Amino acid sequence: MENVLPAQSGLTVNSVFYRYTTVKNPLDDMIVHVQNEDALGSGYIFRSSDDWSGLPGNTINKLIGVESIPRERWGNGSIEVEGFGTVENSSVIYSYRYDTCFQNTVDPACPGYIPPPLPTVDAFSDEELIQKAMEPENNWNPNKEDEERRAFVNAQKRKLEKALGGINSALMTAQAETAAALFFAMNPVPVSYTASLPGGVYEETIQYSSEQLQDNSKGRRAVFASQLLHEEMVQLQYRGAESTGEK
Amino acid sequence: MFKKPLVAAAVVFCGSVAAGEAPIMGTVQSKCVIVTDTIGVYGNPSPSILSTTAADGGVQPIIRYDVINADYYKAVITYPNEFSSSPALNDVVNWTGDVTVAEVSDAGMAAYDQNKIEYNNVTEVDLTVAGTVWFTVSSTADYGYNKSFPAGTYNTVVTAECVAL
Repeated sequence: MENVLPAQSGLTVNSVFYRYTTVKNPLDDMIVHVQNEDALGSGYIFRSSDDWSGLPGNTINKLIGVESIPRERWGNGSIEVEGFGTVENSSVIYSYRYDTCFQNTVDPACPGYIPPPLPTVDAFSDEELIQKAMEPENNWNPNKEDEERRAFVNAQKRKLEKALGGINSALMTAQAETAAALFFAMNPVPVSYTASLPGGVYEETIQYSSEQLQDNSKGRRAVFASQLLHEEMVQLQYRGAESTGEK
Repeated sequence: MFKKPLVAAAVVFCGSVAAGEAPIMGTVQSKCVIVTDTIGVYGNPSPSILSTTAADGGVQPIIRYDVINADYYKAVITYPNEFSSSPALNDVVNWTGDVTVAEVSDAGMAAYDQNKIEYNNVTEVDLTVAGTVWFTVSSTADYGYNKSFPAGTYNTVVTAECVAL
């Protein structure tokens, strides 16, 4: 049950729900035991038996309450068939609860919280600590300082590159996004680079009222005149032909 | 002579006994509860058939009976033999259906399926074991002789009752 119930202090199981389907001959005897061994003793901490003898197979759903049995007592679980028949599609669900304040040294919000004792270290009695303190690792080294400065400058450059490249934030990693946020907080980039312009839709406001347009009498006269002129010009060619006797 | 009036006075005093009424109330909670766990849906595998069978694209309704006391009730479930609402139909609808025990909370209830009584479109089951039993209801409507159902929405009702014995 180590991989079934969470390893929470003070956890108790208060009910067991199981479900399975029996496949059997109605005339056969069959008893199905759903059980859990007692991890701290012998026998079973939970055992529920269903007698299917002389009955046709079916699916059973059963909820059985147990009296807050601590997690430590729940041993290996099994479904045992006694008689003839098989069990299919079985599942067992354990309903549990636990008190988050069971250990009063974990959560400061719990009543009666007792802070854990601080570890006491006697520095003068610990030879290893004394040796560490005496090691010349903190000696000043100008080369090392330069290296650290160059490393710092390079790191800043990389951050800056990431931040500038991070305008397309969808492609950024979480780390680069954080660096970009810090960079933009310094306002080195004009706001217009990142700010979105207010948009919108300009709706059509001009409306024309539907009216019937009258015929243009002046236009009609002009068209009529040009038509007369055109016909006269067409007739001219026939007049010329008649005068010369051509056909 | 002197005692008589005293006796008479005592009789009169005993005769004027005060009377009162003490009401008794009681509330009976139902020991048999019916719950629709799953609502049925008709599939339309062919134009002339509506069916709740999963193979036909339907969903069988599931009705749950919670019985607190054994041997006090019987379940009476009626599968549909008419539409409660539908488009206008001008031909006969042939109805078939069945009620089966789908799941139980006690192995003893597995005998319900064997012991059920069926007549017409009604199934009766004596609830002889306390606990919960789930019934599934299948329903099929076959219209005319291979006649297409008119387009529209069709509704039927499964009636489930808990009758005290």
